[in-house]
Amino acid sequence: MEATVTGETVRPSDLPAPPKDAIRIVQACSNPGIDSRDLARIVANDPVLTAELLRVANSAYFGLVSQVKSASRAVTILGSRALRNLVLCISMRDALRADSIPGFDIDTYWEDALRRAVSARSLAGLAQLDADECFTAGLLQDFGLLVMLYLMPGRVEHWSDLAHATPEERRDLEIELFSTTHDEVGLTLATSWDLPTELTLAMGYHHEGPPESSEPQDILLCKVAACADWMAAVYRCEDKRVSIQRARVLLKDNFGASAEHTDFLLQQVSESMTEAASAMGMRVGEQKSFDAVLREANLRLAEDNLSYQELNWRLQQALAERDKFADELRYELELAREVQKSLLPPCAGSLSNVVGLNLTAKAVSGDFYDYYQLVDGRIAFCLADVSGKGMNAALLMAKAASLFRCLGKGIHDPAKLLSMLNREIFETSIRGMFVTMVAGVFDPATGEVMLSSAGHLPVLHMGCAALIAEYPAKAPPLGINPDGVFTNEVFHLQGGCLYLYTDGLVEARLDDGRLEKDGLIRLVRDVSHLPAPERAAAIAAAVQARDGAVEDDLTLVIVEGRQRHGAG
Amino acid sequence: MAFPVEDKHGFSVITLKGEVDLKNSPDARKVILNNLKKRRHVLVDLSGVEYIDSSGVASLVEGLQYARSNDLGFSLVGVSEAAMNVLRLARLDQVFRIYASLEDGLHGGG
Repeated sequence: MEATVTGETVRPSDLPAPPKDAIRIVQACSNPGIDSRDLARIVANDPVLTAELLRVANSAYFGLVSQVKSASRAVTILGSRALRNLVLCISMRDALRADSIPGFDIDTYWEDALRRAVSARSLAGLAQLDADECFTAGLLQDFGLLVMLYLMPGRVEHWSDLAHATPEERRDLEIELFSTTHDEVGLTLATSWDLPTELTLAMGYHHEGPPESSEPQDILLCKVAACADWMAAVYRCEDKRVSIQRARVLLKDNFGASAEHTDFLLQQVSESMTEAASAMGMRVGEQKSFDAVLREANLRLAEDNLSYQELNWRLQQALAERDKFADELRYELELAREVQKSLLPPCAGSLSNVVGLNLTAKAVSGDFYDYYQLVDGRIAFCLADVSGKGMNAALLMAKAASLFRCLGKGIHDPAKLLSMLNREIFETSIRGMFVTMVAGVFDPATGEVMLSSAGHLPVLHMGCAALIAEYPAKAPPLGINPDGVFTNEVFHLQGGCLYLYTDGLVEARLDDGRLEKDGLIRLVRDVSHLPAPERAAAIAAAVQARDGAVEDDLTLVIVEGRQRHGAG
Repeated sequence: MAFPVEDKHGFSVITLKGEVDLKNSPDARKVILNNLKKRRHVLVDLSGVEYIDSSGVASLVEGLQYARSNDLGFSLVGVSEAAMNVLRLARLDQVFRIYASLEDGLHGGG
């Protein structure tokens, strides 16, 4: 079972066993009163460590002036501090064996750690710190990650994500995977293993900065570790531009380094890696030059630009498609408009007693009117308004208009006709849609009118100068109640005129409010001297905008008692 | 515009206000039908309606038809003069159950 790892509950007992001999040497090195011979004796106690120490100390990377061949010589030449750091590097490298985390390629971790170490070492001059100390801090700073993988080997499958993440992303991912971070675990481990203070601080606080009470040198070392993290990330992360930019900013902010100097140091890191790996006895892959990394970053930038262009191109395509679709839709609407217009008789047709006018607010209308001569010479007429607007209203209008024309030729009683239309429309009506309609029959020979209204606005019976009568609806609109009862009004036109209209006329907004029925009566009176077709146009013009547009569908039918001159 | 709904004595009281026309009648329709679909009796308060067009009336008609076929209460209450004129002209005052006030509607049982 995996150990439970959280920042608060990583217990020393969970941690891998400390390299006791190495820790003893490290502690002895930190003792200012220790005699160099005693120190040499302690070192020599661990012959394997001594052999490795001498190999590393004599390597070209650490570049001692003269070769050292014994523990006592190493103590004298290196000094206790450098000795301590080398012992730490070697012992930590070996603290977790390659097979202690199943399925994990530990070399990939150490290559990354080594790059941090080399980066930190390259900053020693800028930070005015000891180069070996910087190197050690860099090598150890992410050791907590290795410990977390050791404690929870089941998370090894996420190593690839962790390995290619930026330092910030890596910490976020660690919180998801381990509920803690490498710096928290590193701090616990360094404290538990009693590692030197400056290295403990560097391990625990290279992300969030050490406590303010820390020594200035220790704070500087934490800054070096923070910079080294992003410098190493330049060679590790997918998005190199981000890491290069962050490294440049951090080095400038912390050490006043120019971008060029940061790039120079980054190049040095790449060049020193093989030598450092050889010194530390680590296996590393082929190292990319900084120039190659920079080229990769620029290529990525170019690719991103390219995808932006592609995005732009796709957008253009989509817009073109939308325009094409809109054109098709416009064409369809135009066809619908033509079909709808064909359902209406002409404004002033062959019948001398009736004129009609229909103006639409949109391409198609929910209003309609119709009139035709019956076999007995009388004239059937109607005007209707479908609730709502747009295509659904237009389709219901087409249905109602067809029913009127078809059934009206056989049923000459307006009330009976409306009753039948009501049932037909009710059967198929959806969304509460309804039709208000006035249907009538006019006998030009006698002047008699028979009229029935289903929920429509009052029909006005006008004389030359005044209103004679108005006929409001006595039944609700068509399509609401299948059992609706419709009745007829029968009266004589007396040489006057009937005005049938939709709400688009009386509810039209004028400068001083809506036209209303009274406004319409005044308007009719004002234009009563005009022949009916011109009168209809003049009435509509009173509410039309300058460009002829109307706010709502507007329909008007005039039935004239007196015969129109010049018609028929 | 969202039309407010209040729960009063087991009724959903929906308040339509201002101009109810093609622009907001789909909202009115939605709120009315949603409450009926939750099997609530509905009272529509029209006291604040300044103008209602045929699309607004159609929303009420659809609510009424849905309520009738699902045995639910659907009434109009406190109908403003502007709305009443429209309903009266279209003889829809014969179709809807209309109460003078919300209190009457609540007592009338929707």
